Amino acid sequence: MTELPKRKAGIVACSGEELPEGTVTRLAALEVLHELRPNDTVTICLPLFLAGGEEDRTFARFYPTITIDGCELRCAARATEMHSAKPAASIVVNDIVAECGLGKPEGRRRLNEAGKQAANVIAERVAALVDEALGTKGRPTASDEGAATPNKQRKTEATCSCGSGIPVLNLFIDGKVVEMAALPLIFQKFHEAGRAPDEAAAQELLEAVKVYNYVPPEDEQSYREAIIKEYAAYRERESKP
Amino acid sequence: MSIKKQKVAIVPCSGIGKSFGTVGREAAYELCENLRPDDTQLVALSKLVLGDSAAREIVGRNPTVTIDGCKMMCAAKMVKQSGGTIAREATVFDAFRRHKNLKPEGIAELNEAGLKLAKVLAEELADAVAEINNLEAVKGERHD
Repeated sequence: MTELPKRKAGIVACSGEELPEGTVTRLAALEVLHELRPNDTVTICLPLFLAGGEEDRTFARFYPTITIDGCELRCAARATEMHSAKPAASIVVNDIVAECGLGKPEGRRRLNEAGKQAANVIAERVAALVDEALGTKGRPTASDEGAATPNKQRKTEATCSCGSGIPVLNLFIDGKVVEMAALPLIFQKFHEAGRAPDEAAAQELLEAVKVYNYVPPEDEQSYREAIIKEYAAYRERESKP
Repeated sequence: MSIKKQKVAIVPCSGIGKSFGTVGREAAYELCENLRPDDTQLVALSKLVLGDSAAREIVGRNPTVTIDGCKMMCAAKMVKQSGGTIAREATVFDAFRRHKNLKPEGIAELNEAGLKLAKVLAEELADAVAEINNLEAVKGERHD
């Protein structure tokens, strides 16, 4: 089986500049991205859903996304749903602060101790939601493997999706245009693996597509045919000198 | 003669993936909290993304300064899409090109150079805010 891009969870923070809680969302998101789940998460700046391209708007369709909002306006959750797709889960700072009996975050530029504590608590909560979204709950953490920092994966660079986006491809299936997230990437992987557009590849391509897109069970045959036809065309284009 | 003083809306980009986004945010705070607290109003970009009517009204009625961290220019694009008028479009990258000794590093916490770059940018924008207010005052006088 061809190796495919690793499934990750998307983290979208409101980053609200006007309130200390906005800074809490930002620091919590960064803690998850940089320290708690660096290998399993990716982020995008919220405004890119509008200021970016179609690839950016695919973000929450491609990645199960967890939004972190500072206030009840819930800009991150609502804007993600409006412009990309419904988040897998969403968190509001004030709810967690109240639920855990934490102090009020103050200092939007430099958080007070209560704000920092809130960021840590929310980061842990988001990390658990990441595990849930990816189905990795209960797997060994870095600490189980002997890493120095308990409950944290090894620190790596966080992945930023700004400007890179998720590649999409539109296919014509049963008289409708269907947008397929990640299909160009999947084609590329198969092509690099030297896979010919045969029946076995058709089935594997369909399975790969289903990781990132919803395929109605009754339409699987139509999808399989459209995908392998497009893959054959892709191979032909790529093979030209 | 009556001159109604407008506040300049300041919209940083919310960039979370790179140091430049944090510099923009820090510069906005320096400008709004320390350098021009009476003349500026910080607007959260996420509200414009959501289409919040109060935020749209602020950028629609007031001259706006945008501060962007990367070439995607999210803040500038969102202000334009929200019907606002940009009086000054600043980018952290341009500021860095003018001050190459101040290389920002860190996102959650900026290094010393990043903090200095934010301060320098904020000072430049404080002058811009003063210019914008002078222009607005002249416009106000003409209308009286």
